[in-house]
Amino acid sequence: MTSANPQSINSASDIDYEMVCHFLYREARLLDQRKFTEWNNLFAEHGTYWIPLVEDQPDPVNHLSLAYEDSMMRQVRINRLNHDRAWSQKPRSRTSHMLSVIVIEKICDKTNRLVVGSAFQVAEWRSFGLRTFAGLYTHTLLVSDGHLQIAQKRVDLIDSGEAFEPIEVFI
Amino acid sequence: MDIDRLIRNDEVHRDVYVNEEVFGLEMDRIFGSAWIYVGHDSQIPNPGDYWTTRIGLQSVVMTRGKRDEINIFYNRCPHKGARIAGEGCGHTNGLFRCPYHAWTFNLDGKLRGVPYLDGYQNTSFDLTDPRFSLRKVARVATYRGFVFASLAEGGAEFEAFLAGIKSSLDNFCDRAPEGTVSVAGGVFRVVQRSNWKIFFENLNDTGHPIATHESSYRAARQYSEEVLDGELPFQLHIIDGNGAPPKFWSDLDLHAFDYGHSYMTAIFNAPDDPLSQQYFESLAAKVGEDRAAEILAVNRHNTIIYPSCSPHTSFQQWRVIRPLSVDRTLVEIFTFRLDGAPDELLQRTFTYSNVVNSPSSIVMSDDVHVYAECQKGLSTQGGDWVSQHRNAGQDQPYSGSDGGLIGVGTSELPIRNQFRAWHEYMSEGSGQPVSPETS
Repeated sequence: MTSANPQSINSASDIDYEMVCHFLYREARLLDQRKFTEWNNLFAEHGTYWIPLVEDQPDPVNHLSLAYEDSMMRQVRINRLNHDRAWSQKPRSRTSHMLSVIVIEKICDKTNRLVVGSAFQVAEWRSFGLRTFAGLYTHTLLVSDGHLQIAQKRVDLIDSGEAFEPIEVFI
Repeated sequence: MDIDRLIRNDEVHRDVYVNEEVFGLEMDRIFGSAWIYVGHDSQIPNPGDYWTTRIGLQSVVMTRGKRDEINIFYNRCPHKGARIAGEGCGHTNGLFRCPYHAWTFNLDGKLRGVPYLDGYQNTSFDLTDPRFSLRKVARVATYRGFVFASLAEGGAEFEAFLAGIKSSLDNFCDRAPEGTVSVAGGVFRVVQRSNWKIFFENLNDTGHPIATHESSYRAARQYSEEVLDGELPFQLHIIDGNGAPPKFWSDLDLHAFDYGHSYMTAIFNAPDDPLSQQYFESLAAKVGEDRAAEILAVNRHNTIIYPSCSPHTSFQQWRVIRPLSVDRTLVEIFTFRLDGAPDELLQRTFTYSNVVNSPSSIVMSDDVHVYAECQKGLSTQGGDWVSQHRNAGQDQPYSGSDGGLIGVGTSELPIRNQFRAWHEYMSEGSGQPVSPETS
């Protein structure tokens, strides 16, 4: 959702920088508030959430990924996070997303899409302590019925090839 | 240290998991002598390619030499000690060059050149003295492309070590139309806050899924019921499997072999879909329909090749256990292409691994959590002994071709079997088996 009047938005070039920032901040806020279902609703029907395993990974299908989730797998992850017996979520993860250097990299009216790059740091507290994820987001946003939707959220961690302890919530 | 006091027939002392002195002895006596999985030869297809990893606490480099041979040496320059190769896979043009003082080495590790050679006159330095070359590990052996090494000159022969579990490696490769497999898609690496043996014991422990994985199989079932009318697509199917009822688990077979190896029969099958049919045809085209059916009828869940790795033959996964310290373990997870099979089958292999073996797996997170909880609990004074009683004394010799022991699916046979080998290695034996624990 954006702050502008949906009637005035018909194509990608009707989206301004402030609307993009607002959308990304709201997305991050929903994750930090653990409003996962509302967060999942920001995605387009075939939208994907993708954390590549290697730098410059060209695609999620012909290579392993730290995560590659469609609406089904995102919802199953959410169901699990909400389950009483998600043992590793006792105590549950708490996160704080910091988002900056937001740049609209591409606007395409033909496909009604925008590509938006940004830098992030996510602090996560788990029972084993505080850890930080850092990297670059690439959001491919779709303009549909006057609203923005996520066609793809790509999360490039700067240490994607590292050895990790389990990653359970969305980054 | 008195090793015998740590082991009973059906329980072990907590010190085997939490005592640093025991861990140090394991690095000497187990990881310093047993056959340890290093890598696959497809990771180093050309001369000069290398793969850097660990054998126990030792950094080692596996490289392909000029004559196509595989060399493994310690990652340590004989001059000042700097490591001569970085982490992971890489390539060097014909020689290794130490980044510190530019000593150079042939691909077989032999010292080639030293700057300021004049300065070494009238010293004990000698270009041809092996102590100034990269030190090779004592023994290297490969089977169907899988490369193992032993840091000790003595000890079991590779053939004897592998004998019981060889059939899993054969099936891993026989599933490929070309009969060979290649590492593909990168490497997942996961850190666990627990002793390396805890992970190993879990791999054939069918008593845990229904409890540990409840959150993920319930989550998958909830989605299936609410959105898909009870249908279970591939990803949900493999998550759902952990919630099978008790009888399902006890009906499985567990097979255990000398040297700590074991496997369990499959808990779920590849889907019966057009891709599986297309794959079957690609295999049958090479080996004939009967042989293809025979190969695919060998359907196993985790195989354990003690003490370093665990192949999953039917979904081309390969997990490698690299102990870091008494309470830290690194797991490397590889995926393999079945050479000659359709690309879409490899994509399914990646999908399986993303769901089950990725650091962000919704299944594994609960495993890793309970391993860490065991490590913490075992560090208390709440009890010295750890139970392995389930179906103890009930395992039978297996009359099939591979021999070994067979137990019901919920037996703790594989765990007791691992400790039988552990005891052998730790008593400074060669890992050679004593009489099996039949009753």
